[in-house]
Amino acid sequence: MSTQHSKAAKEFLKNPNYAKWHDATFWAVRTKRDNMAQGLEEWEQLREKASAIKRHTITHLDEYLNQFATNAEKNGAIVHWAKDAHEFNEIVYGILKNHDVKKMVKSKSMLTEECEMNPYLEARGIEVVETDLGERIIQLKGQKPSHIVMPAIHLNHDDVGELFEEKGISTEKGNHDPTYLTYRARLSLRNEFLTADAGMTGANFGIAKTGDIVVCTNEGNADMSTSCPKLHIAAIGLEKVIPDYDCLAVFQRMLCRAGTGQPTTTYTSHFRKARPTAHHMHIILVDNGRSEWIGNPDHWEVLKCIRCGSCMNTCPVYRRSGGYSYSYFIPGPVGINLGMLRDTQAHSGNVSACTLCLSCQTVCPVKIDLGDQIYKWRQQLDDFGTANPQKKLMCAGMNMLFGSPTMYKMATAVSPLANIIPSFIMNMKLNPWAEGHEMMKFPKKPFHEMIKDYEQ
Amino acid sequence: MSSKEEILKKYRANVRERYDMPDLSDIQAVTYPEPLVQFVKMSEMVGGQVIEIDPGRDINTLIRQLFPDAKEIASNLPEITIATRNPDTIGRARDLNGTDIGIIRGSFGVAENACVWVPQTMKEKAVCFISENLIILLPKSQIVNNMHEAYRRIEFNDYGYGTFISGPSKTADIAQVLVMGAQAARSVTILLMPE
Repeated sequence: MSTQHSKAAKEFLKNPNYAKWHDATFWAVRTKRDNMAQGLEEWEQLREKASAIKRHTITHLDEYLNQFATNAEKNGAIVHWAKDAHEFNEIVYGILKNHDVKKMVKSKSMLTEECEMNPYLEARGIEVVETDLGERIIQLKGQKPSHIVMPAIHLNHDDVGELFEEKGISTEKGNHDPTYLTYRARLSLRNEFLTADAGMTGANFGIAKTGDIVVCTNEGNADMSTSCPKLHIAAIGLEKVIPDYDCLAVFQRMLCRAGTGQPTTTYTSHFRKARPTAHHMHIILVDNGRSEWIGNPDHWEVLKCIRCGSCMNTCPVYRRSGGYSYSYFIPGPVGINLGMLRDTQAHSGNVSACTLCLSCQTVCPVKIDLGDQIYKWRQQLDDFGTANPQKKLMCAGMNMLFGSPTMYKMATAVSPLANIIPSFIMNMKLNPWAEGHEMMKFPKKPFHEMIKDYEQ
Repeated sequence: MSSKEEILKKYRANVRERYDMPDLSDIQAVTYPEPLVQFVKMSEMVGGQVIEIDPGRDINTLIRQLFPDAKEIASNLPEITIATRNPDTIGRARDLNGTDIGIIRGSFGVAENACVWVPQTMKEKAVCFISENLIILLPKSQIVNNMHEAYRRIEFNDYGYGTFISGPSKTADIAQVLVMGAQAARSVTILLMPE
């Protein structure tokens, strides 16, 4: 096991009040999800269907991608294929340059985060404005998202209030009321929507049978991003394509119920082509590793993910350590797995951020075996050379101790002696088991002797 | 080899077992004894307002009463006589900014989540989002139970755009406090129209 995550989590835990709020907030979201799930008798059936649809679709992607591209082109969209992040960024820049775009507004897209598109475009003189409020806040702050659905959850209203004052977005000093701040951001972003030359959206789903791009938002920012600018570019990961509307109905019903505990997002928007007064709509299908991950026998099913965020909301480790404690840009159970598929060396520290409670796979709307997959990754840590040496030594010791009955009996017989070691020694920093809690008391008699007494 | 061919070739080489499509016809989806009652309840839950219109009532007068301070009203609907702007004839989409009320038509509503299907029926769809307040005219008889039924019904015209709208634009991105009116309409009023 590695300790990279727990070291990073120390930073998060420095503010215990905030850590407590974070934990409680996500537990409240989880509770809202439960109310939604329990409110539908067919919920578990929907999960079964959702999982089976995704299993089918991601193992027939060659057919569905072709069908999707053909139908999207028939609708009038221009479809591009990008092998990797670099090609994706190049394609986006090429389109923007062709249309002489100076400013682009965009709705939230984890794919553009994955491809690090914003810095690529900014280095080439294009202003990119995030329009999801949470994304806008962290963009202004120069930060990365700490949750895929609630990207600015690591900031409180005072942080946002001070940021808006500094950036000239709010005018009333000291007014940190979320309603006021949201209104000020609305005014500021409204101006961006009206003056941008292009709008970009991600895609929650692509529909093979009809060529639709489907985008779900609560703010309406994807629709605003595509209503005024003359150009619409949609970025979509290969695995987001599904067969048809019957399948979409299953996912539309689950996405928001699972993620935020709402019955639906406010907007579920279908884009087939550009507005009559705009240029052609561009759709970019992005691989960036997906065509390789499908071949991983233990981990291919992570491609079923619909990015609802429910696995992070419920995860006891995510709730108590925050998004920035993980090295991959997507945190929580699905982020641990995606990060390992992306780069095992760089992200293997994250696999320790799991208690194997399996709450994630109990709530996952598409039934990805997230916790089981983390367990499987852990078995390979030694091969990656990222196992923690201290823990390895401990395991070797335990192996010896539990492997020899004589030695085990001897050790349990003397263990109560540890109780009389003064607590300042037992709870000192050198003993990692004493961190955050008092050292346990050993019982006077070991269990196997107690059970003998009981049997007599 | 194009990127498309390269991606598909790599995918075909790597994909292992291929799984069958499940049967979706046996989904036991929720239905309601009175879908309209559920639709109204859900609309209010998501922050919308619903008003049932009696036959013969003039909705122009009603809209005036609902928003006495509204100056700019955008609509291309023939029955709306109080419109000051028309999304079909407006010069640029951005000229619709500053609209106090946008009035549009919805095809049908969904009882389980208050979604209303709004296909684009105007040149500039901006009117559906840029307006401070949105009014959707919805035939009272057109309410389906759930999204499965909804997705069997949606239709597109040549504009190639349509959206389900459920209540006003909202966000909880600042400290998880729910605020109505993020980037799009700050209020949504559904007028349930008689046959």
